[in-house]
Amino acid sequence: MIELQHLTKQYGSKTVVEDLTVTVKPGVVTGFLGPNGAGKSTTMRMLVGLEEPTSGRATVNGRSYRDHPLPIRELGVLLDAGARHPGRSARNHLLAQAHTHGLPASRVDEMLELVGLADVSKDRVGGFSLGMGQRLGIAGALLGDPQTVVLDEPVNGLDPDGIRWIRELLRSLAAEGRTVFVSSHLMTEMAMTAEHLVIVGRGKLIADLPVAELMSRSIRSVRVRSPQAALLQPLLTGHGVTVTTEPDGSLDVIGLTPEEIGARASEASIPVHELSSNQASLEEAFMELTRDAVEYAGETTTTVHPADERTAR
Amino acid sequence: MSTQATAPAGLPAAPDRITLHNLMRSEWTKLRSVRSNMVTLAAAAGALLFIGLIFSAMVGGVVGNPPADAGDDPAGVALAGVQVAQLIIGVLGVLAITSEYSTGTIRTTLTAVPSRLPVVWAKVAVVTIATFSVLGISAFVTFFAGQVLIGSGDVDTAALGDPGVLRAVLGAAAFLTGTALLGLALGGLLRSTAGAISTLFGIIFVLPGLGFILLPESLRDDLLQYLPTTAGSSFTSVAPDSSQLSPTMGAAVFAAWILVPLLGAALAFVRRPA
Ligand SMILES: Nc1ncnc2c1ncn2[C@@H]1O[C@H](COP(=O)(O)OP(=O)(O)OP(=O)(O)O)[C@@H](O)[C@H]1O
Ligand SMILES: [Mg+2]
Repeated sequence: MIELQHLTKQYGSKTVVEDLTVTVKPGVVTGFLGPNGAGKSTTMRMLVGLEEPTSGRATVNGRSYRDHPLPIRELGVLLDAGARHPGRSARNHLLAQAHTHGLPASRVDEMLELVGLADVSKDRVGGFSLGMGQRLGIAGALLGDPQTVVLDEPVNGLDPDGIRWIRELLRSLAAEGRTVFVSSHLMTEMAMTAEHLVIVGRGKLIADLPVAELMSRSIRSVRVRSPQAALLQPLLTGHGVTVTTEPDGSLDVIGLTPEEIGARASEASIPVHELSSNQASLEEAFMELTRDAVEYAGETTTTVHPADERTAR
Repeated sequence: MSTQATAPAGLPAAPDRITLHNLMRSEWTKLRSVRSNMVTLAAAAGALLFIGLIFSAMVGGVVGNPPADAGDDPAGVALAGVQVAQLIIGVLGVLAITSEYSTGTIRTTLTAVPSRLPVVWAKVAVVTIATFSVLGISAFVTFFAGQVLIGSGDVDTAALGDPGVLRAVLGAAAFLTGTALLGLALGGLLRSTAGAISTLFGIIFVLPGLGFILLPESLRDDLLQYLPTTAGSSFTSVAPDSSQLSPTMGAAVFAAWILVPLLGAALAFVRRPA
């Protein structure tokens, strides 16, 4: 379990992480989402004590990371897969980490096997591809068999096979009851891996919700086709609900979920031939949530939303 | 392969905290596993040996004609390679820490050991043991082989039992180890390979020359004897000359040149964000 309490980080006058209060629970994969520069990496660095918070606190299983006598047995982290000496072999890279905690060399070999680097374990990592580097970083994060795993953009540079592999790995880690906290700036990727999402923008918490809830929230309208549409319509209208009759006789409902509409129709024994949600893609839902919080807005955004840009500053 | 992240048997419960011994194993793994480190260590030992042998051979008349003059210090002749070895081993000390910053492995290191300070002591211990043992052996081999070469001419040789000789041989190894630690300290303070090496060479080479040019003659010898190389040569030579500190005093001054930057580096290591 990871707890962030009013976690704040300022660099000079710039607030990079602002009053972040989040609990990351065991047993599920939690995605940590946000546009570039949202403060995800900074948050993760504070979690493992590489960076001091300006205020607030980050704890792992109730204690700050550095107060655990064997920290990598408690929490494993992949922050920067590029952080390796090019002249050192993969095995020696992990061995140096393992020795600090008195972990046996056999554990290093197991992890190399797990991430699929056993065949190249003696090769210098300078020649490794981006994907091999990520795998090595993941092996390092799992070395101490930690209850909590924190990975910063682990799918970076992985091919589709690698992405599927890591998705399964993360899910199986969560299924074993571990806390898994994974950052990404790709909503679609996270929606396939994570069950819960923590979304940040400009260092602030934007949303902390299950993926399923975001999915239902991203429903824009529901199309209802019924031979008795005229009877159904008054049952659906109400506060905050708009029902429009389409030229083909179907109803377009904004403000109710398909489940709610289906329930009301069946209560009144009105047959329904189609009930489909016109859903915004998760990527769109994510963009909508973070639009005002995009750190490095591209040129198009600036010209399309000049007002947003101004208020955001 | 994806489902099994844990060893079924789990991990041994052995140590319940991070120990200095385990950190030294980790640091030794880092040092030995990069080829250039081992090449540098071997080069320092080789420089000490070969320069010493060449000088000894010249004095003994094995090469060169007529034989070079040994002065009255045959032990010093055999240890003539100390200056060159000093430069090489200083680089090893620098790299032992700056390579962690240049490659980013420092973040891995500090994540494994968030209390940080023990990492400094482990690095100091490993650099000390590695350089003192390898260069100590090299110094003794150089001394004995050098005396054989010197003795093949009609020249006096030194024995280990002669006054000051054992101290000078061990002193050479200690001086080189100290220089490696000074490199380590400068690397930790500056976090840049180029910056730390330039500073180290500046202290070794430029400072004595600069002092000689800039200081008034009345103060010159008084102050120059406190520079690390001069202070060091008081215990690496069998009979330091009168302008130098006594061997004990020289060792103390030399130690201060290492300890002060090392403590500064330790402080920076703990306080400054990586
Ligand atoms: N050491 C530092 N000094 C000053 N500013 C910093 C420092 N580190 C990060 N920042 C700033 O903090 C902000 C957040 O950076 P961070 O790397 O945490 O974002 P991120 O969410 O991980 O982004 P990305 O998706 O691009 O990885 C950025 O604007 C960055 O420029
Ligand atoms: Mg980042």
